[in-house]
Amino acid sequence: MRSETVIIGGGIVGLSIAYYLATMGHKDLVLVEQNYLGSGGTFRCATGIRASFTTEEHIVLLRESINLWKELSEKLNFFYSRSGYVWLLRTEEQLKAFTEYSKIHNKYGVPTRIVQPEEIKELVPTINTNGIIGGLHDPLAGKADPFEAVLSLAKAIRSMGAKICTQTRVEKIIVENNKVKGVKTSIGEIESSNVVIAAGYGSRELARTVGINLPLKNVPRHALVTEKFREVFKPLVIDWTTSSYIVQTHAGTFLIGADVEEEPDSPATQRIDYIPRAVRIMVKLFPWLKHVNILRYWTGYYVMSPDRHPILGPLENITGLYVATGFSGHGFMMAPIVGKVLAEWIIDGKPSIPQAERLSFERIKLGKLIEEKAVFG
Amino acid sequence: MGREEVKNKEHPVIICRCENVTLEQIEEAIKEGITDLETLKRKLRIGMGPCQGRTCLPVVIRLLARKLKKRPDELLIPKPRPPISPIPAKIFLGGGEKDEE
Repeated sequence: MRSETVIIGGGIVGLSIAYYLATMGHKDLVLVEQNYLGSGGTFRCATGIRASFTTEEHIVLLRESINLWKELSEKLNFFYSRSGYVWLLRTEEQLKAFTEYSKIHNKYGVPTRIVQPEEIKELVPTINTNGIIGGLHDPLAGKADPFEAVLSLAKAIRSMGAKICTQTRVEKIIVENNKVKGVKTSIGEIESSNVVIAAGYGSRELARTVGINLPLKNVPRHALVTEKFREVFKPLVIDWTTSSYIVQTHAGTFLIGADVEEEPDSPATQRIDYIPRAVRIMVKLFPWLKHVNILRYWTGYYVMSPDRHPILGPLENITGLYVATGFSGHGFMMAPIVGKVLAEWIIDGKPSIPQAERLSFERIKLGKLIEEKAVFG
Repeated sequence: MGREEVKNKEHPVIICRCENVTLEQIEEAIKEGITDLETLKRKLRIGMGPCQGRTCLPVVIRLLARKLKKRPDELLIPKPRPPISPIPAKIFLGGGEKDEE
């Protein structure tokens, strides 16, 4: 098989890269996925989308991503809603920190503001605000349906002529004289002058086949979902003290994530303490949850980079090799803008957003880390 | 065989009773090219309701195996997730750490 570009990874990031490459006229594409589309982080995620981060790089990229989420959801017809995020704060110290974060958000065009408990009750009907002294409301944030998003992107990519190979494993990347030649897969070799690694934690192993060491850590995360109800509240609600969240998904289920301590790079196994911990935290906020049935509990990973920002763009000095990984829990929300800037990198040699360039692999090698503070779950 | 040909708009054949998914919708999705259970599950929500597919998945597995001319065990079968049966959240409040309030 031959193609202009091979994308490794059929999650939302790989699909988005393929989509923007194809829409920019670069149609000779093969996307390779070892399992089924969305089977890694994408279908395990909390479905939230926000720009309320603490660094210029994250805020600017996510703000642009949010514009693209709207555009894509309208064009491809999948669920996306700007239903907001509400961060719940319990101490003066937290309130002070988020007052500062809000100033950073506002500076880069994200209209967050501090809200009082009374307003939190209006934004989040049925919430019990005991012990909550205030919050941060992000009206630009929202959620999308990952299943619809993946399936409609895949359909669009195929209709533009790209090929998607699922159940196909990439064994190694082939490089000669510092130039990408293709990939060796479980169904044979694919010749190609560009290869994009967008394979979550698997990117580490793939990069190793060409002698590059990506400093990623896979951290197990846990989530559960309840039975369905009609809409109770719109925003994704974060309890900052316990690093936990709850969101009513498009389907009507309540998806709950709670932080339990995990060793990086340990296998994600189900833990007996997870459901009781998540339930205790959330029943305090929503007493009616006591009576709701829990349907499923699953695990996933946050693929953490050293500074909780992704690693994007060309990889080392190997011509034609690109990467998009290390999203540290934010790959779903960032996918559209990452797709666009990677496509620009491949076609024009440069992304249209300068903040993306600052997230290159080089920053890590040079020790120029950009620390993100607002990570939860 | 050929029972899957039974179609009736007024009396649809419901395969997934938790999520109200009909035989017609499943056949439509297969026709669109979705031929693995994991993706059918996400597209139609079959097996994502309270019973986690105990009712519908055996039927869909047989239907798909027949259409693809594969053995049922060659298909990717979605994993059941704990707690398997729906359990009210309050069951998890007892014991261990004390609930404040």
